[in-house]
Amino acid sequence: MNPDALIETYVGDVVRHLPRSQRNDVAFELRSLLAEELQGRSADSGREPDAWLATQLLTEFGRPVDVADRYRPAGFTVIRPSEAPRFARIALGGVVLQWILTLVATFSTPSELEWPSLLGAWWLSWGLGSFWWPGFLVTLSLIAGFVQSRREAAGEWMLTRGVVRDRDHVRRPLIVLYIALGVVGASIVTSVPSIALWGAGLPGPVVEAFALEGEFVSTRAPWVLVLWAVTLAVGIAVLVAGRWTPITRRISAALSIAWLALLLWWVAAGPIFTQQYADEVTKICLVLVAVIVAVDAVVAFQRGRAAVIHSPVA
Amino acid sequence: MVDGVKYEQDLRKGVLVLAVLSQLRSSQYGYSLRQALAERGMPIEEGTLYPLLRRLEAQGLLESEWQVDGGPPRRYYVVSAAGSALFASLTDSWGALASVMDRLLEGTD
Repeated sequence: MNPDALIETYVGDVVRHLPRSQRNDVAFELRSLLAEELQGRSADSGREPDAWLATQLLTEFGRPVDVADRYRPAGFTVIRPSEAPRFARIALGGVVLQWILTLVATFSTPSELEWPSLLGAWWLSWGLGSFWWPGFLVTLSLIAGFVQSRREAAGEWMLTRGVVRDRDHVRRPLIVLYIALGVVGASIVTSVPSIALWGAGLPGPVVEAFALEGEFVSTRAPWVLVLWAVTLAVGIAVLVAGRWTPITRRISAALSIAWLALLLWWVAAGPIFTQQYADEVTKICLVLVAVIVAVDAVVAFQRGRAAVIHSPVA
Repeated sequence: MVDGVKYEQDLRKGVLVLAVLSQLRSSQYGYSLRQALAERGMPIEEGTLYPLLRRLEAQGLLESEWQVDGGPPRRYYVVSAAGSALFASLTDSWGALASVMDRLLEGTD
């Protein structure tokens, strides 16, 4: 093979990975330099600049994509090495959690389908659908990485008072507000099943829209009362102590996971409202709440862990 | 087993920019620069050196222009004003670092 053709192909493979504005200029220079390198090697070895010499030169030059990387300025880090293991755990853990919950829901719901058909239907819905979670995390990481790179470019990091603040200290008025809103929210939601009784003055379509499925009310809904009760107890404990403790942090993290499981169960295990439209809108909202709860769970878990650093010689 | 070659490469990487700037106080094109560095005991792989020249130029540390001197067109590089300032600064840093390392390594051979 003609060594010039080898170089030409190689240069094309390199510049293909570069921005269009650079390609022509880099290709022209790289082609010229490789030709000179080849001539130099030919003179050193005393043999004609043939395909063998060209192949050796290009192999040592490196993979085209690696060479192209070297032409580009350093980009920003999407996931830092220190955060990669945690990222992998959260991403894969979220997928596995969704699979477990939805598989249980799929196979515990009576169906006329055979198990292979059920499994296929599950895979095409929740199985593949669960990968929204790693995608969502990567998108957040991209945004965070971009913002971080802008901050780093803007100036040096300094230790400030904000960084060393007491993270466990709570503002009691905020906790009171948090508890009050929780109680009000719980009261509203728990009154929905009896809307037919107290909402006699409401228009008929409104009452119908908020009509809950009997199975939901009897099986899935009651668990929310348990979680609300525990959440309320944790809120009161934090209020009394005036700060988060390792125990309340851990309970809070466990509660978040329980909330996440409950919300996903609600969404996956059948209709919540009898009206299809109300049911769909509610489930979209519940999935969004689940995302927020998941993020909160991760934060709570990390803070709980950071708060309990034991001495290695204890 | 510890890869000594990799550590040596990392060591060389740290002084790559200083080595390149030192040889571009007078203009050179990629191939002649690589030869000059190799002759002075600092061989640098082509795949590392040529992209580095472009990156340094993009950062304003080098200036370049195409020249045709009877042969094929070649892109010649030379340090810019910013490159000269960086070269002076890195030279001082290198002197201090080499001195510290000499002291640290004393008695280890």
